[in-house]
Amino acid sequence: MVAATRGIDRGRVGADAVERAFADDLAALVRVQKDAGMDFFSDGLLRWQDIFRPLTEALGAKPHTLVRWFDTNTFFREPELLGSLAKGRLDGVVADASVPRPRVTTLPSPYMFSRAAHADQDRNRLMVELAERVLRPAIDAAVAAGAELIHLEDPWLGYSGIAREDWAPLGEALQILHRDLKATLAFHVYFGDAAPHIDELLKLPVDALGVDLVQTDVKALGSDWNKGLVAGVINGRSSILESPKDLVDVAHHLADTVRPRGLYLSSNCELGYLPTVVAEQKVQRLGEAARKVKELVSV
Amino acid sequence: MSEVVEHKALLTHEVGSLDKPGWRVKAYAGKPLDDKDVEEARSWGERLQVPEYERLIDLLRHAPFSKEQKAELQRWSSLYAVRLEESAGLDVVYDGEQQRTEMYDWAVSHTNGFERRGSVRAFDNKYYTKEAVVGPISLRSPFHNAEFSYLVSVAEAELKIPVTGAYTIADWSFDERNRTPENLLQPAAERARQRHAARRDFVLEVARNMIRPNLEALIALGARWIQVDEPGASTEPDELDLFVDSFNASVEGLDAMFSTHLCFSDYNLFFPAIERMEQCRQYAVGFANYDSRELGTTDAARPGYQVIKKFRDLPYKPALGLGVLDIHSDFIESPELVRDRVLYAVKVFGDPNRIHVTPDCGLRTRSWKVAYEKLRNMTAGVRLARRELGLPTGE
Repeated sequence: MVAATRGIDRGRVGADAVERAFADDLAALVRVQKDAGMDFFSDGLLRWQDIFRPLTEALGAKPHTLVRWFDTNTFFREPELLGSLAKGRLDGVVADASVPRPRVTTLPSPYMFSRAAHADQDRNRLMVELAERVLRPAIDAAVAAGAELIHLEDPWLGYSGIAREDWAPLGEALQILHRDLKATLAFHVYFGDAAPHIDELLKLPVDALGVDLVQTDVKALGSDWNKGLVAGVINGRSSILESPKDLVDVAHHLADTVRPRGLYLSSNCELGYLPTVVAEQKVQRLGEAARKVKELVSV
Repeated sequence: MSEVVEHKALLTHEVGSLDKPGWRVKAYAGKPLDDKDVEEARSWGERLQVPEYERLIDLLRHAPFSKEQKAELQRWSSLYAVRLEESAGLDVVYDGEQQRTEMYDWAVSHTNGFERRGSVRAFDNKYYTKEAVVGPISLRSPFHNAEFSYLVSVAEAELKIPVTGAYTIADWSFDERNRTPENLLQPAAERARQRHAARRDFVLEVARNMIRPNLEALIALGARWIQVDEPGASTEPDELDLFVDSFNASVEGLDAMFSTHLCFSDYNLFFPAIERMEQCRQYAVGFANYDSRELGTTDAARPGYQVIKKFRDLPYKPALGLGVLDIHSDFIESPELVRDRVLYAVKVFGDPNRIHVTPDCGLRTRSWKVAYEKLRNMTAGVRLARRELGLPTGE
C-alpha cells in the first residue's frame, strides 16, 4: 500500500494497483486479528488518511492546513467546517464487507472533532452539531454493517485537557450518540493522564471509558466503576514488545481493584505509529494475554 | 560563504529535498526504463542546459546498470537538481538529496547502533521508514562527504549542505536500548521520569556521536554553511530545552555558519528556549502553509506570519529564512504573493539583511515541473520586493 500510494502520487502506477494493494493489506490485517483471537474486528482505517478525512469529505468540506497530530511525527488536515454543516453521504466510514463481525468502529470523539476543526462557530455548539449530523449517522451506518463496539478516540482531552464548562456540552453530544444505540459506546482518552478527569469521565453517558495506562497510574482509576474499562495496556508508540504475562497481571489488577462492568484489553492509542510488522506482533501478544485472562476467569 | 552572499539582503535558497526523477529511481532500483523516462531526462537536460546531458541519455539506454553506473546516475541526478535551482535563480543551492535515500534513512543507515523497523504514515499517503536504536551510537564513516565533494565540483552558485539534526533523528527513532517494557503496575510518575532520562541520554548521544563528527568532517572538506534540519524539534513541547542542548552539543566551537530548519509547528513553542541557540545564524521556517493566498502586507493579510516578530526579537539577531512556498500544494504562488510576504517580513524586521527567502520545507512531494515553477516565481517575487525596497535587483 505504501509503495502503491506513492506510485500513484507520482503517476507511476494506476488506480487498480492501489485498489489491489488496499485489498491485500486489509486481508492481511484481518488474518492477523483472527490469528490473535480478537473479539472485535477492525478495518484498521487503512483507507483513512487521517481520523477526520472520510467524515470531512462526506460533508463536502475541504481538508485544510496540515497540522501536527499532538506530539507525534504524524500530521492531519484540519477539517474546514465553516458555517452550518451539510448532511453528507457517510458510505466511506463503513468497513469493507470482508471485515468479519462483530466489528469495532473507530471514530473521532465529538469533543476532539470540534476542537481540531478549522471552524468559525462556538466549539461547543459545533460539538453537538457534529454529534447529531455527522457522528450519529456514521455510527448508525456502522452498526447496520455489524459494528458492536463504537470506539470514540479522544487524545485531545488527554493531551490538552478540558475546561470545566465544556463537560456538560460533551455529555449532551455523547447522549446524542448513546441514545437507543444497539452497540457498546466507548470513549477513549489517550496521549495524556486521565487521572484528573476520572470523576467527570465516569458521569458521561457512555458504556465504557478508555484510559491510556502508559500515561495514567492504575491507582488513579479508583474502584467500583459503573462502566466498562478499555484498558490501554499495549504501548502504540514504542516498538518494545509487551510480555503477555505482564499484561495478564495488569488485567487481573484492574479486574480486582477497578472492578469495571466489562474489561476490554486494548492498545493505549492507535497502532498507526508503529511499522506493520511491529503492530502485528503487539496484536498477537494482546490476543495471547486476553486468552490467558479468559482461561483464568473461567477456571 | 562569500562575503557577498553572507550579507545579501533577501538571499534566496531552497530548504532541502527535491523529488527524484523517475529515471534515477527506476535505474537505481533495477527496474526497466521506458521512453517516457528517457524523454524526461532529455527535456530537463535541454531546458536546464545541463552540460553534456546527451551522455546521460546514452547511459540510460544501456540498462542493466552496474554499481558504478548507478553511482554515476545519482551524480547526474545531483547535477540536474543543482542546475534546476540555479536556473530558477536561487542564490544558494543544494541537490535536493538526490544522493540520499531521504533525510532520516540516509543518516541512520550509515550509523552504528540502529536497526530498521518499517514504514509509518507521516501525512496523507506519505510514509517514512523508522529505525530503532539498539546499541551504542557511532558514525561508521562521515556520510555526506562524497555528496559534498561532488557538489563543490559542479555548483556554480553558493552551496549550503543540510544535515538532519540530533533531536529529529532521535524523535523519529524507537529507543530499544533497554528492551524491557514498562511495568504498568509501577507508579506512572516514576515511569515518566525514567522515560525522560532515557530520552535525554539518547538525544545527546546522537548529537555527540553521530551529528558532530559528521559536521567536523564536512567543515574539514570546506563546507561553510551547514543547515541543521530539525522538523521534529517541537514535537514534544516539554523537550524544547533538550532540542536546544542537542543543537549546541552538535555545533559548539565549530567554525561554520549554522542554520536550522523548522517546519509545521506552533512556532510560539520555541520561545524562549531558542534564546540559548546563539550559534544558529539563520532559522529557515515554514509559514506559507498557514497563510492566506490573498495579496497584502498588513497583519490581517498575512495571518501565517504573525509569529515572525518573535524571531526578530531574538537577542543574537539571526536571519530568518522566510518560508513563502506551500510545499504541500501544487498551487503556484504568484510573484506578487511572494513579494507581499517578503515585504511584510521586511516591515516587521525593519532590516532586509535579516530576511532570507525560501520554500516552507523541501519540495520533494512536488513534481519537478511544479517545484521549478514555484521556485522561479519565488525569485521573481523577490525581485519585485527588491524593486519596491530600492535594493539592487541584479537585472
